[in-house]
Amino acid sequence: MQTPVTLLFLILLIPLISGILIGLFCRKQGALAMVLSVGSAGLQMALCLYLLWSEAWDGTTIHLNYEWMRLGLFSFNLGFLFDKNAALMLFVVNFVGFWIHLFSAGYMKDDEARGRFYLGMSIFMFSMTGLVISSNLMMMFIFWELVGFSSYMLIGHYLTKNAANAANKAFIVNRVGDFGFLIGIIWAYWVFGTTDIATLQSLVAQRPDLLITPISLLLIAGVLGKSAQVPLHVWLPDAMEGPTPVSALIHAATMVAAGVYLLGRIYFLYTPTALDAIILIGGITAVFAAICAFGTRDIKKILAYSTLSQLGYLVAAFGLGTEYGHRPEVIAEHGANAAALFGVGAANFHLTTHAFFKALLFLGAGSIIHALHHEQDIFKMGGLWKSMPVTSITFAVAVLAITGVPPLAGFHSKDAILYIAYLDNPITFYLLTGTAMLTALYMGRLWFVAFWGKPRSVNASHAHESSWVMLIPLIVLALYSALGGFMVMYPRALHFLLHDSVLHPEGASYTLMLAISLIAGIGGLVLAAVIYKPGAAEDRVQQKAPALYAFFASKLYFDEIYTFYVKKIQDRVAIILNFLDLFLVGGLLVRGSAGMVGLLGMISKLSLTGNIQTYVYWFLIGIIGFWLYATGVF
Amino acid sequence: MSIGLNAYLTVAGLLFAIGFFGVLLRRNTLVIYMCLELMLNAANLALVAFSRYNLTEKNPMMDGNVFVFFIITVAAAEVAVGLAIIVQLYRKRQSVMVDEIAVLKEP
Repeated sequence: MQTPVTLLFLILLIPLISGILIGLFCRKQGALAMVLSVGSAGLQMALCLYLLWSEAWDGTTIHLNYEWMRLGLFSFNLGFLFDKNAALMLFVVNFVGFWIHLFSAGYMKDDEARGRFYLGMSIFMFSMTGLVISSNLMMMFIFWELVGFSSYMLIGHYLTKNAANAANKAFIVNRVGDFGFLIGIIWAYWVFGTTDIATLQSLVAQRPDLLITPISLLLIAGVLGKSAQVPLHVWLPDAMEGPTPVSALIHAATMVAAGVYLLGRIYFLYTPTALDAIILIGGITAVFAAICAFGTRDIKKILAYSTLSQLGYLVAAFGLGTEYGHRPEVIAEHGANAAALFGVGAANFHLTTHAFFKALLFLGAGSIIHALHHEQDIFKMGGLWKSMPVTSITFAVAVLAITGVPPLAGFHSKDAILYIAYLDNPITFYLLTGTAMLTALYMGRLWFVAFWGKPRSVNASHAHESSWVMLIPLIVLALYSALGGFMVMYPRALHFLLHDSVLHPEGASYTLMLAISLIAGIGGLVLAAVIYKPGAAEDRVQQKAPALYAFFASKLYFDEIYTFYVKKIQDRVAIILNFLDLFLVGGLLVRGSAGMVGLLGMISKLSLTGNIQTYVYWFLIGIIGFWLYATGVF
Repeated sequence: MSIGLNAYLTVAGLLFAIGFFGVLLRRNTLVIYMCLELMLNAANLALVAFSRYNLTEKNPMMDGNVFVFFIITVAAAEVAVGLAIIVQLYRKRQSVMVDEIAVLKEP
């Protein structure tokens, strides 16, 4: 009964059942939907923790396959591939997921469409769990689309014009990436004859020459969309139109990390060229998004750009570590499995800690937004230390964690990435160190401006601490953000993470890394305090150097370029295609053939007079025709 | 001069032609029906004539004559049904003219 497989089934199906119940019966009963959804998330977390903490699972890879359908030679399997990295991701999804669910119970208390909200949340938990434990790429793709769907549904929760646009944007931009991903999967199937991840791995090991760069690049396209990497990052800042718990759960902690998880899941499917592309994309995203974060006053958008930047970090870390693992001397030292270790390890470790502190940041922001009656401008906040002590303290922990101040979680994971970069690629190392500095700067800007000084708006002066339902998740996540770098915080089954797959600097390089972290983290925060002044009512950079601020706020005109492309190029092609469709397909072929048949009918109708004698003539003509045919005239 | 097979066939052909054009040209259903019978009997006449003139010592077959008996029997049955239909038609429509009962076409 308590086999790991049964537990996995339960963990997967509980949110689905909850989603079905809510969808069918609780669309109007918000409170009941809340109980169901939060309860199912809690049960899921409990089962997950039991699975990982107890002796239920011995740490060996579980690989199950059930044939779902067979089409000729192609058989479509559903199954589980549950290894240590999947366990880690499952832990993150379920653990963070539950606390965000609990938070949302307080945050969404007065929402009119709570049923719809919790329906989306439950479906998301189901899809995300499915994505994590899928055994083959096809199944993964299905869940991949399902998380995209629930993200779409939840971004558009508030039913405003902006929210609808943001939801559409997220869905359509993701479509671009997923299209590439799907082609990549099909191509991989074409080459290797299977989409099963474990089988693919052994096939690639046998015939490395079969793996070609286009497949890898197409598979990366999916990551670009889901993990919002440049140039498909444009949907994530807009996705902040959704409720804050959604931003925390989907657009910060779990779904956007699915791209990174996918990278690690099929780390063997990337050629060296593709790994270079991954490092390049990750590095550019990290720096670019960090710069954009200075150009917005909206607390959620700043956090969104921070998420983008950190995701860039994760992607780059994967590329760097895997490339490092492919080096001959590293293989000689760590064994043939080195490529599977360091990239995946560094990326997944930071993914985990990032999920904690970024979810905490978003929930903190949610707590503030809730208390300030949906005021999101950080320059209209201020003075929150006194009115909201718990939120402020937990937010401070998260800020220190994300800036990488030792010994908080972010320090350990970011250090691991920087060390990998230091070992593998000096240019990227400087890039990422610079980003760490920028991270500290913009988080400092947010923190000093939003929390310090005097309240700068009516809403801010009336702020009060949120209810305990919202504070408990903050405290739990703060605990993990602070201590997430230590093994004791994780289930026994996940201890491999810090043990085997994360490279730890030693000796001189340890000192170097520590120094870099301190300089980048503390230095960045101090610099932010100097530049922006705690409790400032206006953006001092905007006042002193408007050109620089305009540059930050422009976001390098990605949106404008896309709008131009869609309006001026794509729409015109669409008009031509539409004309062709209407005229050729619709007009000539569809209506043409129907008209032809109609015309024939009208003509032949003339012969039907209803007069018996007419039919006698027809009969006669028929006989003559038959006679002519029989005698061989024609 | 004796009356040969051709004479019978000519009469049969004339009868058939009268019947045929009657069916094609007359408007009264009853007359059309009579013309149908005329054609049927033209065929009967031809059959009997063939049977009579092909009768030899070696071939004492009476096939044609037997055939005609059957045709007359079936035609009698047909008349019974056909006339009943015409009577019913008249009761319903007060007319037996074919151009007035063109109900087989789309209204």
